[in-house]
Amino acid sequence: MAAENLSTKIPSRKRIATGIALLVIGLLMSVFFLPGTETGQTATFGLNLSSSAAILLPDMTLPVQTSLYVLVLIVVFMGAYHMARGIRSPGALFGVVAFCFVAAFLIWATRGRSLSLIGMLTSSLVRATPIALAALCGVISERAAVVNIGIEGIMLIAAEASVVTASLSDSLYIGLMVGILSGALIAALHAWLVIRFKVDQIVSGVAINIFATGTTSFLSSKYLQHQSDLLNNSGTFPIISIPLLSKIPIIGPIFFENNLIVYLMMIIVIVMHIVLYYTPWGLRTRAVGEHPKAADTLGINVYLMRYVNVIVGGMIAGLGGAYFTLGSVGRFDEVMTAGKGFIGLAAMIFGNWNPLGAFTSSLIFGFADSLQVKMQILKVPIPSSILGMAPYIVTMIVLTGLVGQAIPPAADGQPYEK
Amino acid sequence: MKKLYFVFAIVLIASMALAACQPKPVEQPAPAEPAATEAPAATEAPAPTEPPAPVIKVGQVTDMGGIDDKSFNASAWKGVQDAVTEFGIEGKYLESQQQSDYAKNIQQYLDEGTDLIVTVGFLLGVDTAKTALANPDQKMAIVDYTFPDCWPGAEVGVQCGTDQELPNVRGLAFQTDQASFLAGYLAAGMTKSGKVATYGGLPIPTVTIFMKGFEAGVKYYNQQKGTNVEVLGWNTATGEGSFTNNFESLDDGRAQAESFVQEGADIILPVAGPVGLGSAAYCKETGSCLIIGVDADWYDTAPEYKDILLTSVLKKIDVAVFDTIKDVVEGNFTGGTVVYTIADGGVDIAPFHEFDDDVSAELKAELEAIKAALIDGSLTVDGVLGQ
Repeated sequence: MAAENLSTKIPSRKRIATGIALLVIGLLMSVFFLPGTETGQTATFGLNLSSSAAILLPDMTLPVQTSLYVLVLIVVFMGAYHMARGIRSPGALFGVVAFCFVAAFLIWATRGRSLSLIGMLTSSLVRATPIALAALCGVISERAAVVNIGIEGIMLIAAEASVVTASLSDSLYIGLMVGILSGALIAALHAWLVIRFKVDQIVSGVAINIFATGTTSFLSSKYLQHQSDLLNNSGTFPIISIPLLSKIPIIGPIFFENNLIVYLMMIIVIVMHIVLYYTPWGLRTRAVGEHPKAADTLGINVYLMRYVNVIVGGMIAGLGGAYFTLGSVGRFDEVMTAGKGFIGLAAMIFGNWNPLGAFTSSLIFGFADSLQVKMQILKVPIPSSILGMAPYIVTMIVLTGLVGQAIPPAADGQPYEK
Repeated sequence: MKKLYFVFAIVLIASMALAACQPKPVEQPAPAEPAATEAPAATEAPAPTEPPAPVIKVGQVTDMGGIDDKSFNASAWKGVQDAVTEFGIEGKYLESQQQSDYAKNIQQYLDEGTDLIVTVGFLLGVDTAKTALANPDQKMAIVDYTFPDCWPGAEVGVQCGTDQELPNVRGLAFQTDQASFLAGYLAAGMTKSGKVATYGGLPIPTVTIFMKGFEAGVKYYNQQKGTNVEVLGWNTATGEGSFTNNFESLDDGRAQAESFVQEGADIILPVAGPVGLGSAAYCKETGSCLIIGVDADWYDTAPEYKDILLTSVLKKIDVAVFDTIKDVVEGNFTGGTVVYTIADGGVDIAPFHEFDDDVSAELKAELEAIKAALIDGSLTVDGVLGQ
């Protein structure tokens, strides 16, 4: 009690530093964003997707300068208040400031023009889907203490396997199944190598990535590109609008007008959260990841738990791979996953090895990514390569601020020897 | 335990071997009779039956896009294959997986005594210049690049190839903006929403020249018709535009198209190799946009998207490579720069195919007139852009 009272009365050095930092951010916002604006300028944000015309919302038109002043004032006020009284939740503090900054940036970039805000948010979720699936694969494997950096490779193989079977069988669902199964298969190989033979987990993962890049590119240039009608033309899962829910303004088009894989991803996030934290299986998985010896002593089959979790993870990554082909463009091209598997691993770490965290950080990646695309369309005077870094920079800033230090499972990456 | 590492090592080696399968030189043997141009039969190269006269050897080095990029590598390879059929020369290609492969692949051809080395793309400029300077008798050609390429202050041999003319290298350049000017005019005439879009893979000159011509074409349409068609994704005056920053991720191409459509565009020109196919997939799925293909006629190379393919901006790299090989065969090879323009048919736009009925006769006539004006020089891209 006494210490707490003290800390509210005498501002600690850290608090003052944070407060000053916020004031500086507010100042920078006004320096960066205000000079380019003119009085009376407005920014228009579209709130409708053309496809969802049930309830049409009017476009949101904001007066640029007034909005910017308000946002700057909020940040400055937060800084001053934090210095004077202290704000308990660093998460809330950071969230509000980040929101103000992003909003100010958007309003500044859109000044005198219009931007489809809802479109940007919709593509954020879609863009986040493969990243989230990769991250979820990582979460479930690493919760059982098996590091899997071969996710990128698994996704690449699943992408190719699913598009080929879907084209041959003329059924997207068979393609999806094969994609998931091929993911499971590669993950099983990884599990076998690292659990049974205690091969270094990183080395095995790297090998999977090299193997996947080589094989898929080889098969692609040898067969897929020459017989693309037969082997490489699957079509994509259609958009499914959920009745009623998709009619809700803003939320509807974002969450309830997507294709199958996006829905599956959201379901997996929820299911995995429940399984990991509210079932005996989840408890055992986490026990195996934190202290396998103790788990073993209590009669948990450590190896079995690890095998099953890694293979389930592989199935999720397989689904992620199928997204690239069946869920997005309906064809395979060399190295088309373009590093999304690795970004997924980053999302897992930023998400602190739990499903909801991984999903949130994937969403931030997705948001920053589609923000970047929109900024290029608005011709913001920032080089495109810098804008291309935005997803990574934003994720690092927001999540280091929000999450603090990420703590991996204690036994992560260590083979278990009885 | 050791045995198990052995198993693991086998897996690793197997994967590397598979990866290595790709850059293996694929021979296109000199055929006795005109051979099929598709898919070189890699494994069993039939020994040529009549060996006497030394066969002219041509070797192509691709950039990282690979031989099947449906873009300039594939197009250059088609030129080599055509020459193989026509002149009975020997044609090979080597794929580069990374930057460090460029010099290595060129060196391999030097060691083999290849008559003409064709390098493809901007990224191979420096290595091509170095090889040409060190081997003044080696004939070379580079697609999409010209020498001298150094600008004041650039570090020779690192940032750029050379600051002098290279008599043994032919730079094959394309005035692509003339063709995409036509595409831009066409797009402006066809758009229903009043907005058209373009994006590139990387902000490099050979990509942005397409976007520049496209913008100019739209601007010219606006000047002529008093309309106000807007170009999303590129602005020549500021040099800013939309780029996916890769030539690989089709999903990025899809996202670009989706984003453009959200902002109201209904015709898109993707200048990003295979990434553009992602945009085509989006347009096909939603039916909300049309695509203009680049480099080759996508009606032939990506027929699954013919329903949404308005036209393609053709850049006939195959013709340029073929001409170069022809000159080598006939002993007329010269270095320097050869610029292919709309006048000689090196760049053009493809037929409208499925959309032939939708493009009005008036618009077609206007396009013909513009083409004639571009050829006789009374209309220039830079002139329209006011530069």
